[in-house]
Amino acid sequence: MKITFPYMGTPLVYKKLVEMLGHEPITPNKPTQRIIEQGVKNSPEFACFPMKVIMGSYIDALERGAEVILSSGGNGPCRAGFYGQMHEKILNSLGYNPKFIILDSIHRDFKGFIKNFKMITQNVSLCQLYSIFKFLHKMSSDLDQLEMQLQTKRAYEINRVECNKVWEKIQSIFDKTYIKKDLIKAKEKCQILIDDINIRKIPENEKIRIGIVGEIYAVMESSINMKMEELLGSFGCEVRRAHYLSHWIEDNVVPKIFSKSKDGEICKKGQKYIEVAIGGHAQQTIGHIVDYKEQGFDGIVHLMPFACLPELVSQSIIPKMSNEIGIPVLTIALDEQMGVANNTTRIEAFIDIIRNSKEKKYRAS
Amino acid sequence: MKVGIPRALLHYYYYPFFKTLFDELNIETIVSNPTTKEIMNKGIEHSVAEICVPMKVFSGHVAELVDEVDYIFIPRMISISKYEYFCPKFMGLPDMIRYTIPGVKEKIVSPKIDVADENIAKAKYYGEFKKKLGVKEKELQKALKIAYGKWNDFRNYSKEGHTLVEALDGFDQNHYEVSNTKNDEIITIGLLGYVYNIYDEYVSMNIIEKLKDLKIRVVTFEMLDEHALTKSLTDLKKVPFWTFSNKLLGAGYCFYEDENIDGIVHITAFGCGPDSMIGKILELDSDQYKKPFMTIRVDEHSGENHLQTRIEAFADMIKRKKINLGGGTVNENNISLYGNTACI
Repeated sequence: MKITFPYMGTPLVYKKLVEMLGHEPITPNKPTQRIIEQGVKNSPEFACFPMKVIMGSYIDALERGAEVILSSGGNGPCRAGFYGQMHEKILNSLGYNPKFIILDSIHRDFKGFIKNFKMITQNVSLCQLYSIFKFLHKMSSDLDQLEMQLQTKRAYEINRVECNKVWEKIQSIFDKTYIKKDLIKAKEKCQILIDDINIRKIPENEKIRIGIVGEIYAVMESSINMKMEELLGSFGCEVRRAHYLSHWIEDNVVPKIFSKSKDGEICKKGQKYIEVAIGGHAQQTIGHIVDYKEQGFDGIVHLMPFACLPELVSQSIIPKMSNEIGIPVLTIALDEQMGVANNTTRIEAFIDIIRNSKEKKYRAS
Repeated sequence: MKVGIPRALLHYYYYPFFKTLFDELNIETIVSNPTTKEIMNKGIEHSVAEICVPMKVFSGHVAELVDEVDYIFIPRMISISKYEYFCPKFMGLPDMIRYTIPGVKEKIVSPKIDVADENIAKAKYYGEFKKKLGVKEKELQKALKIAYGKWNDFRNYSKEGHTLVEALDGFDQNHYEVSNTKNDEIITIGLLGYVYNIYDEYVSMNIIEKLKDLKIRVVTFEMLDEHALTKSLTDLKKVPFWTFSNKLLGAGYCFYEDENIDGIVHITAFGCGPDSMIGKILELDSDQYKKPFMTIRVDEHSGENHLQTRIEAFADMIKRKKINLGGGTVNENNISLYGNTACI
């Protein structure tokens, strides 16, 4: 089957998964203005932005010959759990008839899950499946580890965009690995690449660390968040995200007893402000802000798609809460407007404020 | 001790229940006044810019009440049926209010409603009443039982084809009138929309009255039987997971299949998330059922003319369509713009 899937962060791991299950992947292109416009045109006006972008990339992939769309479902209350059905209905009305395989939560619809699961794993045995899963899990956590190093180094690189180039190289190196042995070699090779990046020496008190929190798609996909990580890096900030693919796998796929997931811990930190899980990542957003504060971060950038239901709740709570715990938070709502000047100015001003107050505190001490 | 009940969101659906509950417990309640421009402005002031209008209205009502009362009643609605939830904003409503409106923090009483069978009258969800309002378990159980009975009367009356305004009037006067209205209406419209949009006269600009003035019979989702609503959703591959949106979607399909309904008007608030999904589904399906479907988006603006024009045009279109069904070859050009259609 020619399978396509949503684009979120680097598509490497999803692509590998489809490939190793014996199907042909149609890797979606990184969302461009054209793709986003296609999506916006064909989605309901007040649908959330990720749904529109994914719609655009589906149309793009279908035009390139994809036959099957593979995606994860959900059981609410956030709208993301209903994307699959919505996409199918709209794509059908546009004259495309792809087959949708949506992996819903196993608890909600056991039979449906097994049926879908069998459909995509018919070419491999259970034993193989386990090793594929283990391999990809390792790969995603290796990739995330390397990316985190780059997120730190980007702030101090001497040759601009060197880190981005290294990241591209890392992805193409990992793309060629299929067995565990190669994975270890690839990681060593990439580590050397990262170590070779020339960086400036900055005294500890001048370093600025920013955490990016918010809705998972807006946080992970750089083409819709106006390359937030790179932008912050270029202003000399170390960056960490609230969502990494390997963490998502730990939270949602790995059985609870083996999982090293920190999700529960983070949610607990958010419970003081949002008592119950309200869907999406609202509670995690709040939890991460508290967590980053405890880790000694200097500021938070909160990203949300326009009209995202759960993030609107966290957005309402954030101003008072950031005062209470004492960490500056900048909320940015994202939609199809692609002009970057507005956000660049806001980020620049935000970083200036953080830098000044940090300097003042340092002098006073 | 005074408890404030904001006249917003699910107030219109659950008011008889909560009012009776507090009355039976001998607790004085104050319901905020119907939405006005001032309340709306207060709401806008206290909420984030992008949030939907009903939430802004709710914030406004809380801000209006907060100084007058000792407690504010904001139930946290999580779920009233299996695998279904309320919109995330309802689930986080007490948290949101606590952090946006000054002075409300200690006053919130919010029982957590998380049931699987529509029966919201279970004492275990009202623990906060015992803690904060000093109510005893036995009294609470008795009051809940009476409240649930009253609420059922109210719902049954509404299901006989009365709007919530009429049903709420009946509840207030403790007497539900048996109506014998003459049917001089020519067309029937299925009006889809959440209770807090349609029955808030400021937000909906009193659309039901406007439709009635045009001699249109109005049917809304709360007049339909709940089983019919869920039954009409069984054909869907995956049912959405928002309780009231599902009621609307189910009502939408009921309207499509009901021969007596001539057209559907969907009232949605600016920025409503679930509506963006179910609205699109119904819109795509309207072709298949060959029934006119119109979406009206309401927000904090209060100009009424656009609404009047749109519903008049919609009604005219349906009236013409009905006349055309008389026989012969249908041709738009054959119908006089001034003649019989104008004098209906």
